[in-house]
Amino acid sequence: MSLLKDLTKGIYRENPVFRLVLGMCPFLAVTTSVENALGMGAAATFVLICSNFLVSLFRNIIPSKVRIPCYIVIIATFVTLVDMVMNAYLPDLHRSLGIFIPLIVVNCIILGRAEGFANRNPVLNSVADAIGMGIGFTMAMVVLASFRELLGNGTLLNINVLGAAYQNQPLLIAILAPGAFILLSFILGFFNILEKRKGGRQ
Amino acid sequence: MNSTVLLSALLATPDSGSQGFDLGKMMAIIIASIFVNNFVLARFLGICPFLGVSKELDSAVGMGAAVIFVMTLATLGSWAAYNLLLVPMGLTYLSTIAFILIIASLVQLVEMILQKFSPALYSALGIFLPLITTNCAILGVAVLNIDEKYSLGYSLINAIAAGIGFTLALILMAGLRQRLELADVPPAMKGKPVAFLVAGIMSIAFLGFAGLGG
Amino acid sequence: MADMLKVGLVLMLVALVAAVALGFVNSRTAPIIAIQKELAKQNAMNSVAENLSPGDSLAFDSLSVTGLKNPYASCDNTLSIVQVSAPPDTSRIGYVFIAFGKGYSSTVQTMVAVGLEGVISNTMILFQQETPGLGANIVKPSKLIEKFNGLTSSECLLTKDGGGIDAMTGCTITSRTVTNSIRTGLEAMSEAGLFSSVDTEGGTE
Repeated sequence: MSLLKDLTKGIYRENPVFRLVLGMCPFLAVTTSVENALGMGAAATFVLICSNFLVSLFRNIIPSKVRIPCYIVIIATFVTLVDMVMNAYLPDLHRSLGIFIPLIVVNCIILGRAEGFANRNPVLNSVADAIGMGIGFTMAMVVLASFRELLGNGTLLNINVLGAAYQNQPLLIAILAPGAFILLSFILGFFNILEKRKGGRQ
Repeated sequence: MNSTVLLSALLATPDSGSQGFDLGKMMAIIIASIFVNNFVLARFLGICPFLGVSKELDSAVGMGAAVIFVMTLATLGSWAAYNLLLVPMGLTYLSTIAFILIIASLVQLVEMILQKFSPALYSALGIFLPLITTNCAILGVAVLNIDEKYSLGYSLINAIAAGIGFTLALILMAGLRQRLELADVPPAMKGKPVAFLVAGIMSIAFLGFAGLGG
Repeated sequence: MADMLKVGLVLMLVALVAAVALGFVNSRTAPIIAIQKELAKQNAMNSVAENLSPGDSLAFDSLSVTGLKNPYASCDNTLSIVQVSAPPDTSRIGYVFIAFGKGYSSTVQTMVAVGLEGVISNTMILFQQETPGLGANIVKPSKLIEKFNGLTSSECLLTKDGGGIDAMTGCTITSRTVTNSIRTGLEAMSEAGLFSSVDTEGGTE
C-alpha cells in the first residue's frame, strides 16, 4: 500500500512545484508552449527515475561523505544521455529546450529526491516516488504552459483554439517572461485557497 | 533610443574579429546580461535563491557577492576545462558532468579557503556557499559562454555582468519584500504567491530595456 | 587513511562508469546527429534554392572566395558561400549562404538563395530562439521574410531605417537583425565581385 502512496503523493499532496515550490527555473522557462512542457517533463521524469533507481540501489555502498558528488555524477550522466538521445532523434525539441536540458542537472527536485527519499528507501518505493514526482512536475508544467500558450498565442499544442482574430491581438504578456511569474502567482494563490477550504471542512 | 543607435554604431565597427577585443561588443554583453537578458527576470536562472534569500536586504547583498565571486571562478575553470581539455581530446559530450563537478569542487574549495584565511568574510558569505552548487545560474553562465563561443575575456565579462544582474534583481526584490511586510496582502496570496507577483511586475519593468545593446 | 582511499576509489569508480557509459552512447548517437544535421542542411538548401531553376534537381558545392570580408564576425560566425548548379549543366546559376544576426535573445540564422545578379530568390529561417509569439513568428514567411524575394542588397532595409520593408509588429529588433544580416552578407559578396553587374538604377528586373 505504501508503494501506491509513494506513487501518488507527488501528484497533488507533495506536488514538487505547487506545494514544495521546487524546480522553478525550468518550470518557468520552458512553459511557453505545451509541447515544450511535455518534452521537458518527459526528460526530467526519465532522469528522476534513473537517478532514484541507482541511488537507492547503491545506497548502502556509496560512502555518506561523498554521496552528494556521487549523486551529481549519476544525475549528470543521465542528463547528458538524454541530451544526446534527444539531439539524435528529436532535434526540433532539443533545439527549443536549448540550455535547459543541461540544466536538468541542477533541478533541485532531482537532487532533492535522491537525498531526501531514495537514499533511505528501497528500490521499488524510490522508483514509485520518482514516477509520481515526475508526473507531478510534468502536470504542473502543462497547466502553466496551457494558460500561457492559450492566452499568449491563441493555440494549444500548436492547434488554433481561439481563432485567427485572437491570434492577431493576443495577450502577449502571458507568453513573455512576466506572464510566467504572474500566472504562477495566481495558481499558487488558488492552491492556497483550496488548501484552506479543505482544512476548514475537516 | 539614442543609446541604441550609439551601441549599434559601435557594434558595427568593421572587421571586429572574434579574436580581437571589441569595446562595443563588450558593452553589449554587459548591458544584455545585466538588463535585457537579466538572468533571473528574463532567463529564469537562479530562481530558488532569488526567492529564498530575498527576505532581507543584508542577506541579499551577501548572496549576490558570493554568486558574482563563484560565477567568475566557475567560468574561468569551465572555460579552461572545455577549451584546454575537452575540445583537444574530443570529449565535449562530457562537458555537463565536467562543469558541475568543477562548480561543486570550487564551491567546496572557496568555502575551505575562506574559513581558514578570512573568517570575517566566511561568516558573511559562508551560509550561502553550499546553496550555490545547485544555483542553476552558475552552470547556466558556463553553458551559455560555451554556446555563444565567447573567448575567455568575453566569458569572464559575461560572468561578472550576469552576477551583477542577479545581484541587482535580488537586492531590488529584497527591498520590495521588506516593504511588502507592512502591506495588506490577501491571506491566500501571502508568502510565495505575492513574491512571484512582485517578480512579474519587476520583469515587466525589465522588458523596457529591450533593444538596448541587443 | 584507508577511509580516504575507499572514498576516493568509490568516486573514481562512479566517474569512470559514467564516462564509459556516455562514451558508448555518444559513439552511437554522434553519427546519427551528424547525418541528421547534414540532411537538414541539404533539405533546406534544396527548398530555398528551388526557384533558381524550378523543377531541376540541384547540386551544391562550397565556394572559396578570395578577398571575401566576413560581416558576421561580431556573432562569431563566418560567411561561407555555396554555389548552386543544375546538373548535368555545371555552370553556376546562383548562390546560397547563411546570414547570422544577433536578435533579441538568440543568433538568428537565415538561409538565403540569391541569383547571379544579386537578386534574392528566396529566404528561410534556419535557427532562432526569439520570444515565442513575437520574434519567433519570423519563421512564418508571410510575416516578413517573403518580402525579401526579388530585392537586391541596397533594398534590404527596414522602413524605420530608411528602406521599404515593414518590420513585424512589435518586434523591430528581430526584423532588423534578419534584414541587416542579409544585407551585409550580400554587400560582402558584391564587394568580392560575385555578382555580375546589373543596372540597379534602371530597374530592369
